[in-house]
Amino acid sequence: MAAIELANVSFGYPSDPSVRVIDGLSLSIADGERHAILGASGAGKTTLLNLLSGIFQPDEGQILFDGENVQGIGPGARSLTQVFQFPVLYESLSVYENLIFALKNRGEFDAEASKRVTEIVGELGLQESLERKPGQLDLYQKQLVAMAKAIVRSNTRLVLLDEPLTAVDPIRKWQMRRVLRRIQSRFGMTMVYVTHDQTEAMAFAEKISVLTTEGIAQTGTPDELYERPETPFVGHFVGSPGMNFLPVEALARDGLVGNGTTMIGFRQDWALIEAVGGRPKDLFDVTGIVRDVRLTHTYAGLEVGLIHLETSDGEIVVAGGKLDIGSEAGIRIHKVVRYEDGRLEATDDR
Amino acid sequence: MDKICRILLVSYGVYLLIPLYWLVMISLQANADIVSGFSVVPEAVSLANFTEIAASAVWRSAFANSLSYVLINSAISLLVAIPAAYVFSRYRFLGDRQLFFWLLTNRMAPPAVFLLPFFQLYSAVGLFDTPFAVALAHCLFTVPLAVWILEGFFSAVSRELDEMAHLDGFGFVEFFLKIFIPVNRGAIGVAFFFCFMFSWVELLLARTLSGSAAKPVVVVMTRTVSASGLDWGVLAAAGVLTVIPGVFVVWFVRKHLVKGFALGRV
Amino acid sequence: MIVKPRRDKAWLGVLPVLLIVAFSAVVPLMTVVNYSVQDVLDFNTRFFVGLEWYEATLTDPRFQAAFFRQLAFSATILIIEIPLGILVARGIPRTSKYTGLIIVLLAIPLLIPWNVVGTIWQLFARSDIGLLGVVLNSVGIDYNYTSNPADAWVTLVAMDVWHWTSLVALLSFAGLSAIPPAFYQAAEIDGAGSWQIFRFVELPRLRSVLVIAVLLRLMDSFMIYTEPFVLTGGGPGNTTTFLSQYLATMAVGQFDLGPAAAFSVVYFLFTLLFCWLFYTSVIREDDG
Repeated sequence: MAAIELANVSFGYPSDPSVRVIDGLSLSIADGERHAILGASGAGKTTLLNLLSGIFQPDEGQILFDGENVQGIGPGARSLTQVFQFPVLYESLSVYENLIFALKNRGEFDAEASKRVTEIVGELGLQESLERKPGQLDLYQKQLVAMAKAIVRSNTRLVLLDEPLTAVDPIRKWQMRRVLRRIQSRFGMTMVYVTHDQTEAMAFAEKISVLTTEGIAQTGTPDELYERPETPFVGHFVGSPGMNFLPVEALARDGLVGNGTTMIGFRQDWALIEAVGGRPKDLFDVTGIVRDVRLTHTYAGLEVGLIHLETSDGEIVVAGGKLDIGSEAGIRIHKVVRYEDGRLEATDDR
Repeated sequence: MDKICRILLVSYGVYLLIPLYWLVMISLQANADIVSGFSVVPEAVSLANFTEIAASAVWRSAFANSLSYVLINSAISLLVAIPAAYVFSRYRFLGDRQLFFWLLTNRMAPPAVFLLPFFQLYSAVGLFDTPFAVALAHCLFTVPLAVWILEGFFSAVSRELDEMAHLDGFGFVEFFLKIFIPVNRGAIGVAFFFCFMFSWVELLLARTLSGSAAKPVVVVMTRTVSASGLDWGVLAAAGVLTVIPGVFVVWFVRKHLVKGFALGRV
Repeated sequence: MIVKPRRDKAWLGVLPVLLIVAFSAVVPLMTVVNYSVQDVLDFNTRFFVGLEWYEATLTDPRFQAAFFRQLAFSATILIIEIPLGILVARGIPRTSKYTGLIIVLLAIPLLIPWNVVGTIWQLFARSDIGLLGVVLNSVGIDYNYTSNPADAWVTLVAMDVWHWTSLVALLSFAGLSAIPPAFYQAAEIDGAGSWQIFRFVELPRLRSVLVIAVLLRLMDSFMIYTEPFVLTGGGPGNTTTFLSQYLATMAVGQFDLGPAAAFSVVYFLFTLLFCWLFYTSVIREDDG
């Protein structure tokens, strides 16, 4: 286990070093933390992961494991492990041989290590599969073995998880998320989980860093990201659908928007606030502050109903429970009502 | 170990090149120089051997014969193998697997086994001593191979392409010619490579099925040895000329070649 | 696994292949089987002789000798070419600007007419004008493949290795290129050395490609005709006469239709048998 620190790290691919894929990135991950890196595809997640694992070395800046600079140290010597998008196991070896492969390579397979392996096997319920070959297991079990393999060495400083649930059957994803959290708290490893899926990040992590092409937009607990996004990007990216924004001028003209609104900008400093944002579930009374609100479309899902409104200051989405309106697109809206039971209604009543 | 492999690659490359170097070198020397004095680097270089071949009607017709049966063979093989590979890759039908494997077993038949019956068969239908006899005989080996390779490539092409074309209003033939074949031109190039690789290099059947009129290069070469005896220079020059089409074909499909070799449905 | 729709009309698509292969395989094979049980004096006079020619073939000492030479040759070249091909393939850089060039170079021997391969080696190995022959003799090794059986064998094997190792290497390289980079990453993280990467990551994933490589080399080496025909003509004596050459002499040289046909059938069956034995032994290992 180790605390991980990235200080001002920059990196560009050797084919074109002038393009900084990662530019001046700084990030601290505490010892034993479950940390998620959340970003859209193309944001540089995989590059960041490869910098952590040592496949790439930063052009500038430092990566520190417990204060030790790991510059120039390759993946084999960083004492870290990785779980990949699909199960990566040695097909000709049994599950048990797979588990002890790294230990044997390093001459660390002693009585204590053997005890730890037994413990992990028990924790993950792999007893029945130990003598089998990976080819005889299903994807879920294989990925379980890959996770067990990632924590067998007690001196592992960091476990990297690269979208590890991609290949897992959707209905078993929740099960595997629970397993991941359980083994993390049981064995106390520092884990970095890279994903583009916010549900995955929210369900797994204690802290999430939102990665964009510009760098890390915000690091915080799942609640912080959801309730107090620091930039419109984070507000829009986290939550589904994302936050609604209205420019500050609109706000200044007519006052606050509904309940539960959030100031977006720098450190609550009014002079720097760019916009006001509201979660679709909190926002309803928009009609007081913006002019020319029109209904664009509605969405009636099983658990959530959405009303999309077009205003003179941008699009707004209001979310509620079940939706039972059939209003036509294009009509002027004067009021959106959310009833006690969560039902939404958009009307043109004054 | 990685270092050992790299060294082996380089050594093997050198091992490949040395006999080829020697072939080229001998082809550039006059026969008298070859026999009289041995030297690793030639003292006098001349293209005389090549001009002799170019001037000879026998050699010219031999090259023309070889190229014509190779091209006829490739054309027939691809023409029949493309539709077959397509249906193998898209549908199940009565006896499909058995048929596929039976086709492959033909690849295992030693050509020598077919010498006698081929000779009689093609004599009986009047094709003996024409490029068509050799081309058809080679089909026995090239057709199964082409079906095998194309089936692998076609299976990797998403079936949605077929459905989309159908929804877009293409008829089957139009879809096949205008969309499917252009999409798979790399695959067809690789299949051509393998047909060429067999038909161009084979000697036994080519020799048996051609008399004096359709005599291919490979046969003229073996007869040159016995007839004129020792004109090593001309022989080497002919050898160099037979290598060139191969290099040309492999250069043409080099991008798809690795994928072509990766396909193995056993 | 995608389930293919069933459509028996698809037979129309394979019909041309079926016709052409039937024309060039089934009819001739039937002819061969037919001849193999008859004594053909001329095309109008023939007797049914049952299995006599088969018995004659199997008890023919020259056939037996050629058969065991054939086995020894196939075994030798498999033992050399398969491992060498795999190692050479490992040496090819996966993503370098030279990769294409190396592939083209490796593919060249595969596209040289087989008799030209023989010619190249003849020119290369002769002790009067060949680079190899002259160099070996000048450093005091008495080498002459036309008179010494051992030299002839070594030269044939060297030629086959030159000619066909590329096929194994290209097949293996294709197999290696298909391994996802994550497997190499994982092995590096696990502290595996290059030998272990080879043993536990690469070899298991090369399996199906190697099955094909061994099958192709096994059957092709079993059919070898042209290269030894040009290089040694089967000599000195009969020391490099393999099955195809013996058969060709019988069928075309002496025109012994019956015995040659029986020989052909036996030959084909042996080839199928060896391929089948190898294939099933590999498959059985899969289940175990």
